[in-house]
Amino acid sequence: MYSTVSSEAEDKKVTESAAKKPSPRSGKIKQIWKENREGWMFVAPLVIGLAIFTLYPMVQSLIWSFFNYTGAIYYYPVGLGNFRYMFATDPVFWKVLGNTVFYAFVSVPIVLVSSYLLATLVNLPYKSVGAFRVIYYLPCVIPGVVSGLLWKDMFAANGVFNQFLGLFGLHSQFFESESSWTAISSIFLMNMWSIGGGMILWLSAFKAIPVQLYEAAKIDGAGKIQRFLNVTIPMSFPMIFFNVVTMLIGTLQYNGTLTYAYNGQGYRNSLYMFAVLIYNEAFVNSKYGYASALSWFLLIFIGILTAVLFFARSKIYRED
Amino acid sequence: MQAIKNSSLDINTKVKRGEIVFKVLMHILMIIIALILVFPYFYMVMKSLMTQEEVISSTFKLFPSVPQFSNYTQILQDSGYLAAFGHTMLVIVFNLIAVPLSATFVAFGFARCKFIGKNIIFAFMLSTLMLPSVVTQVPLYVLYSKIGWLNTLYPLTIPNITGGGAIYIFLARSFLQSIPKDIDDAAKIDGAGSLRRYFFIGLPLCKPILIYIMINVFTSNWGDYYGPLVWRLDDSFPATLAYKVFYLLQNGATGNDMVHIRMAAGVIMSLVPAVLFFIFQKQLIEGVAMDGLKG
Repeated sequence: MYSTVSSEAEDKKVTESAAKKPSPRSGKIKQIWKENREGWMFVAPLVIGLAIFTLYPMVQSLIWSFFNYTGAIYYYPVGLGNFRYMFATDPVFWKVLGNTVFYAFVSVPIVLVSSYLLATLVNLPYKSVGAFRVIYYLPCVIPGVVSGLLWKDMFAANGVFNQFLGLFGLHSQFFESESSWTAISSIFLMNMWSIGGGMILWLSAFKAIPVQLYEAAKIDGAGKIQRFLNVTIPMSFPMIFFNVVTMLIGTLQYNGTLTYAYNGQGYRNSLYMFAVLIYNEAFVNSKYGYASALSWFLLIFIGILTAVLFFARSKIYRED
Repeated sequence: MQAIKNSSLDINTKVKRGEIVFKVLMHILMIIIALILVFPYFYMVMKSLMTQEEVISSTFKLFPSVPQFSNYTQILQDSGYLAAFGHTMLVIVFNLIAVPLSATFVAFGFARCKFIGKNIIFAFMLSTLMLPSVVTQVPLYVLYSKIGWLNTLYPLTIPNITGGGAIYIFLARSFLQSIPKDIDDAAKIDGAGSLRRYFFIGLPLCKPILIYIMINVFTSNWGDYYGPLVWRLDDSFPATLAYKVFYLLQNGATGNDMVHIRMAAGVIMSLVPAVLFFIFQKQLIEGVAMDGLKG
């Protein structure tokens, strides 16, 4: 049997001798094959997977974004027609983009700040905080569709929130509101239930900061707020930055509204999110070309946003 | 002397009293937050025990007048829910084997082998973390429709034999890299091939990360309604549990699928991941932290 054993030391010797002696071409290819065979074998599943399930669909959707493809056998190039329709004609595009951007850019800071406050609370030096951490994180393991089911009911006209507001003579339609402000703000309220995820991230950031830094700052006369601004923020910046980027990318693709909004869109599109728009155009209206154009718009939007964030980061924060 | 001693004692007790008051206040705060966060579960359980009239009536009720445990037995006898549960378990069992195995397999290559193209492949893999999945959705749908994968469970399972996602591979690679190579090198000298080294050294060493990956695979597949929603063609689709709950939620169904029954299904659906979480909380929380620290 062809042995698969080749220690690195052996490999090196062989490479050296191969480098010294000018060998015929086929020998060189054999050499390369022998040296890389193992590594290639291990990453082969990944490479095949990326090619079939990522690279090919990406290129294909880019191509289709310039066609009026609907799944029919014949389809024609429309140039920038899909994009022109998107920006100029589509009656919901700007509304949906506005909803999505508003949701992403407000919910991320809210989650960051509130989960920070929660994390400082359960970072107190008491024995009991461990149990509270577990309770606070628990809602994060609940399936999204169940929390959609639950919150839709809690926000309903006869639900618990309106019961509570009724004590003050108030009433809110929450998800059933025609105003994006009210409806999307209700999502912020719902997201408060799962800030345990952010809490865990902050806690691990705190853990990574040396205690001596705080003590030194204390001796220098820094107050609590100063210590937060000058120790906690700079020390946890790399991690918080990374999480802000991934959270933003995630929320821009949010499709959880499918589970609780009327028709997945809310009344008068008050809860219509970008990912749901793409879903509808692709799988309800079968406008594959237009859906591809929309998804490439989202890809480029996210790409630019990420680039801007990384640029801002390089301005603010310099790694020494 | 006596006076000084007394006053310093005074200050000490004052500080201590202040600390105790602070501690009590903080505990009250933590308990209030805990009650608020636990309330939705309680609300769900209560709703799941109500009768249909109680759920749809416009007057608010927190407690059922008579707990209807029959709501739960109805689900357990409903063939629709049982079939959906079966489909979910098929998907989960497949992925519970495929994802940890393929992710650590690929990660072993990245952590322990030298080969041409390693850095490019790794960078491309990481960049897919930033890629919105909607971009690949439409062409994959068309591809699956051509090879007859729509209305089947294949799209939810087969692609996972290719690593199951960049994040798992990345975590497993970091984990393997943090382990000294000594055992590996010793095995190499003893003549163990790379496949044997992966199965008998790499894989067992990965145990903590395997548990994290498996719990995540379980919870994400357990709650996934969007995958089935995209890859379905018509109602003959083998619906998973999450998809069934979603479908009933969207279509305002009647009879067996009214709110109180759905709430009971919701309780059952959240009970399973909650139990898993209680058993594996340490690994999960540490894993989340690892996830977050990758920046």
